[in-house]
Amino acid sequence: MSSPELVTVTVDGREVQVPKGTGLVETALAAGIEIPVFCYEPRLGDPIGACRMCLVEVEGLPKLQAGCTMSATDGLKVRTAQTSAKAADGQSATLEFILVNHPLDCPVCDKGGECPLQDLTFRWGPGNTRMEFDKRTLEKPIPVSPTIALDRERCILCYRCTRFSEGVSEDGQLVAENRGASSVIATFDDRPYRAPFSGNVIELCPVGALTSTQYRFEGRPWEIQNVPTVCGLCPVGCNTAVTVREGKVKRVLSRNHPEVDEGWLCDKGRFGFSHLYAGDRIADPLRRVRQRGLEEVSWDDALDDAERLLRESEGRIVTALSGSETVEQAYALGRLLRSGLGAHTAVLPEETSPALDAFRLPLSAIRDAELVVVLGDEPVAERAPIVELWLKAARRNGAEVHHAGDALESCRRLSRAKDELGNRLRESDRAVLIWSSEEGAGGAHLAALARELGFPDRPGCGAFHLPRTANGRGVADAWAASDDGEGETPEKIGLLVVSGDEAAADPNVRVLAERAERVLVTSMFHGLAAGWADLVLPGTSYLERDGTYVNLEGRLQRLRRASIPPAPDELAWISRLAERFGVEVDPFPSAVFSELSAKIYDGLPFGEVGEHAPLRTRSEAPAPQLPEEPPAPKGEGLRLIRYKALFSGPAIERVPELQFQRPEPEVELSGKDAEARRIASGDTVQVSHNGHSIELRARVSRGLRPGVVRIASEHAGDLGGMVEVSA
Amino acid sequence: MPARSMLLAGADERDLTKLAEYQAIGGYAQASRARAMTSDDLIAELQGANLRGRGGAGFPMGRKASLVDRKSPKPKYLVVNADESEPGAFKDREVMARAPHRLIEGCLIAAHAIESQEVFIYIRGEYLTEYEILAKAVEQARKAEILGDVNVVVYRGAGAYICGEETALLESLEGKRGQPRPRPPFPPVQGLYMSPTEINNVCTIATLPAILELGPEGFTNIGTPGSPGTVIFSVSGNVEKPGNYELELGTSMRELLYTHAGGIAGGRQLKAVIPGGSSVPALTARQIDVPLDFDSIGAIGTFFGAASLIVVDDRCCMVQLALRSTKFYMHESCGRCTPCREGTRWVVQLLERIEAGDGTTADLELLRKVCDRIEGKSLCALGDFAVWPVQSYFDKWHDEWVAHVEQGGCPLGGESSIEGIFAPSDQHTHSPVATVPA
Amino acid sequence: MSTAEFDAQVRKLATRYPDSKTAILPALRLAQEQNDGWLDTESFERVGEALGLTPAYCKAVATFYDMFHLAPVGRHSIEVCTNLSCALSGAQQVVDAFESELGVEPGETTEDGEITLRTVECLGGCGYATVVSVDNRYRQFVKPEDVPAIVEDVRAG
Repeated sequence: MSSPELVTVTVDGREVQVPKGTGLVETALAAGIEIPVFCYEPRLGDPIGACRMCLVEVEGLPKLQAGCTMSATDGLKVRTAQTSAKAADGQSATLEFILVNHPLDCPVCDKGGECPLQDLTFRWGPGNTRMEFDKRTLEKPIPVSPTIALDRERCILCYRCTRFSEGVSEDGQLVAENRGASSVIATFDDRPYRAPFSGNVIELCPVGALTSTQYRFEGRPWEIQNVPTVCGLCPVGCNTAVTVREGKVKRVLSRNHPEVDEGWLCDKGRFGFSHLYAGDRIADPLRRVRQRGLEEVSWDDALDDAERLLRESEGRIVTALSGSETVEQAYALGRLLRSGLGAHTAVLPEETSPALDAFRLPLSAIRDAELVVVLGDEPVAERAPIVELWLKAARRNGAEVHHAGDALESCRRLSRAKDELGNRLRESDRAVLIWSSEEGAGGAHLAALARELGFPDRPGCGAFHLPRTANGRGVADAWAASDDGEGETPEKIGLLVVSGDEAAADPNVRVLAERAERVLVTSMFHGLAAGWADLVLPGTSYLERDGTYVNLEGRLQRLRRASIPPAPDELAWISRLAERFGVEVDPFPSAVFSELSAKIYDGLPFGEVGEHAPLRTRSEAPAPQLPEEPPAPKGEGLRLIRYKALFSGPAIERVPELQFQRPEPEVELSGKDAEARRIASGDTVQVSHNGHSIELRARVSRGLRPGVVRIASEHAGDLGGMVEVSA
Repeated sequence: MPARSMLLAGADERDLTKLAEYQAIGGYAQASRARAMTSDDLIAELQGANLRGRGGAGFPMGRKASLVDRKSPKPKYLVVNADESEPGAFKDREVMARAPHRLIEGCLIAAHAIESQEVFIYIRGEYLTEYEILAKAVEQARKAEILGDVNVVVYRGAGAYICGEETALLESLEGKRGQPRPRPPFPPVQGLYMSPTEINNVCTIATLPAILELGPEGFTNIGTPGSPGTVIFSVSGNVEKPGNYELELGTSMRELLYTHAGGIAGGRQLKAVIPGGSSVPALTARQIDVPLDFDSIGAIGTFFGAASLIVVDDRCCMVQLALRSTKFYMHESCGRCTPCREGTRWVVQLLERIEAGDGTTADLELLRKVCDRIEGKSLCALGDFAVWPVQSYFDKWHDEWVAHVEQGGCPLGGESSIEGIFAPSDQHTHSPVATVPA
Repeated sequence: MSTAEFDAQVRKLATRYPDSKTAILPALRLAQEQNDGWLDTESFERVGEALGLTPAYCKAVATFYDMFHLAPVGRHSIEVCTNLSCALSGAQQVVDAFESELGVEPGETTEDGEITLRTVECLGGCGYATVVSVDNRYRQFVKPEDVPAIVEDVRAG
């Protein structure tokens, strides 16, 4: 790619050189000059020049121009409000008009103190009002959804929110109705704005019109701290800034990593934090007592119990990991269990193939690709929501996006010599593969396909496997690196160590627990392990940990503790337990990381993981190991794809505001299959398999291929394989 | 100068809605001629004719066509702006109702010039009868294979003045809310569906057959050098004979108003003339000895605009006129940009107070300042259109405004010709949301 | 018209345009005709379904334009232009005459559900003031004394 042509632009007398076509706002910034804006937001597409806040004087043009709509050309001379009285008057006029009917809500408005309208009025606006009429009033606040409140009086109609809904998340639910001064922001029929990315409008809104209901009246900007960390609820690892007041987490904002999340968050990561304060949070260790269930015990007693459980199992220990532990926790557990007890067997919900390291790319490469193929039938938005946004951006950018259902079959097809799409993938310089399916051995098949298509030779081509867990790769690598020993899976499990709530809630782990003699669980919530654990140690949330995660890109990112957990951090008691078995494990994440980093991260110091962590360049990777795949289900009927919905899981179940986003008891069918069965969206249908049947509501989905139906796993009961759907 | 017919030529003698009748007077012969030319040559001819856009802006049509990016791999579109909603204008309607085939022929010529095969005629939704006539004429032409490989679609709007603004029209045609786009980029480069687009007013396009018939020299011999050709002047308001008058450009305004339109009705006195549709500054009775062409009208501080003259006699209160006018713009504001959306409402509030007799001298000053604050800062011309009338009524009939303040009410005491006129924005249509307190 | 028929008609007319979104105005008009002259929740859902757009989007577009109605209307509409030229030619007296003849104010519908009276902005008949649009057909040069006959005409169908 040739370097862009540079042009010279003069802003307020200062010359600056920028690539031709750079937006004027960015050009001025390069010259150290701020052009104030409201509606301008490059992530929302082409500028619309609506708010008129950015008015500047341009040499050679008689009228003021909206700076945000202009771009750098050679010889352009611009004067902003700083040196042009005309421009200053224009900007002051804009603010005067915005304020004419804007309510004086600052004392009770959540935005106060972090409000661009306040800031710009202070800098560029009129000192007092000339408006003597009563301001127009509207009903407020209006619940846009259980998580978002709308105050139409405060709204300055910058249209950022509607442009997001239409042009970024493409859900088309938040719109502007009416015309002129009667315009209002609204949802259809006042129905809730139900979409996985709705919360972003809160951050986009430059005034207190769209606010978070969770954060309502919860704090003022001068009383809070923002902790820079990373979300741990899905494998994307969006960079976040967690707002803390008096030690409690109050809200989560985006911290914009341009390569990972581009400043967007999904509603799960944004609103899910209140699980920290769920009523059934475990603060003390719990021991099983016959007939009395679980009783609280002191940490000393708990550690004694744990030691006893570990010793008595005589090495027949299996560890079920959640994949949401930090790298340090997984390493520490490995040191304790593997080095201290020779218990090498671990169960992860899935593997993540290291062969993918050869195809690493930042997520932003999806947007810049020319050809994207998504393999698999699971909805991307449920697995790794932000990837869905990148896909939409790719499409808007002109990329061709293909969905190839039946991942394994598509994989075979694409690697064949004569396949048309496969050949295009072989030739393109900017092609991306995305794997969104349970099958495929954690990306091993994807890596094999990428290799076959020649991706290692083309740095612009890459592959993303969407794992189910937030840190599956990090946990697997850390566990593996914790000890060199090997061992066999015990025939009879003496002790099952269940690490974390995701593992505790996993039905497969429950099956193991039933077979184990004893069970030790780390969990955040009562009720998850009540009936079947012998000892429960309180767990922590990603918001309460210092440590690192590895996301689906393979990017190592740093978590920072935003809130102190009600019980000691896992490293603290793992370290103390490890002592009893003659293994030294440091209780501090930085030290644990150092030890591990020397083994697998090239000695990268903990402190240098980075605020906006870089993606390590792709490396030579081992060839993928392709295990035997179970045969695809065959038979009459439609293939059932069960998927774990985004808004599910123990954390989300405890957030009242997010319950409306839980998956509906629906079965998704393709148009063709629905028509053949005379089923329309909304009909009640029976979904059956082997005599077992569930009643669900049908939803016809244009995006779904024929032959396949999708049901969120929490509504799919025991159904599997091939099913039949009938009215 | 005598009336001269190019747009409505032959319409009095024949029913030109019928294809055969139009062909009998040479209809579609120019389209055939045009198609035999290269697009470069055709555009050169149009540029030579110096046809100025008849929609209001007066931008030279040939130059606009030359800016269309014909080399682009995207399809080129011709869009005809038949959204005539400017108060005072009713000429496009007559052309479509009485000479639809002339418009269609013009479309074929323009389409050929920009190498387009897709023509959209965006006609305001209220013109149902004209839509039917036009659609029928298109169908006749299609059946007779006159359209060739050009597809002509007549598309009905749904009631929004702002959709007469070029880029707002394109947005509306694309199936969105009709809100203007920032320019640049201009439609010849990025227009309909982001493709190169030529967009012109009905009368502009309907003049093309005459241009081809007369040739650039013959055409520029009519009218004035800076404004060649004829224009249909729509005259309305307090005149004896309101109506459409097709005259050569350069005709004096006095002649139009007094010779053709019969002078002020009922023997009353002329008070004001709004020369270009309601959006432009008004002229006093002493300013009507001016040639009706783009440059002459521009030189006396107003705009030729849509060549639609609204005549006001001495019974009319100018404050009330300002109020009625501004309520129109408030109702039609698209709501995208701050000054127009918020400013027009504030201006209405101030005007209501002044008209009711509750205004003070400070209110008068404030009103003028607010108008200045809106002017020149909006996303499209509607912001300017809203305030130019008010500014001109305020400046040129200032005594009336002062009298409202000093007398605590309208000096015409309820006898104004537009007393009590009830604007649509005063009734709840489908936006029962906001209340604007008095 | 059944949903399937509506769907089919809209999809057919969408083929006239390079982009099917352009069909939203004619589709909304069709839905309005099918729903006694106004658009309700179901109308927007229908149009959205037929064009692959959200109902919210369809409503956002509809509410922008004056010719789409979101509340029930009479079987007939009488719209009197009150913009500048018609105002100068006595439009208010025509409005008054309709008010008195119909017994409603502008914006309201007669009790028998037959006629909705409205004042509107410039209809494009300025030289033939006062212009009254009856069911989208223009009556020109209307004077207050013409009003009873117009109303009778409309009532007669």
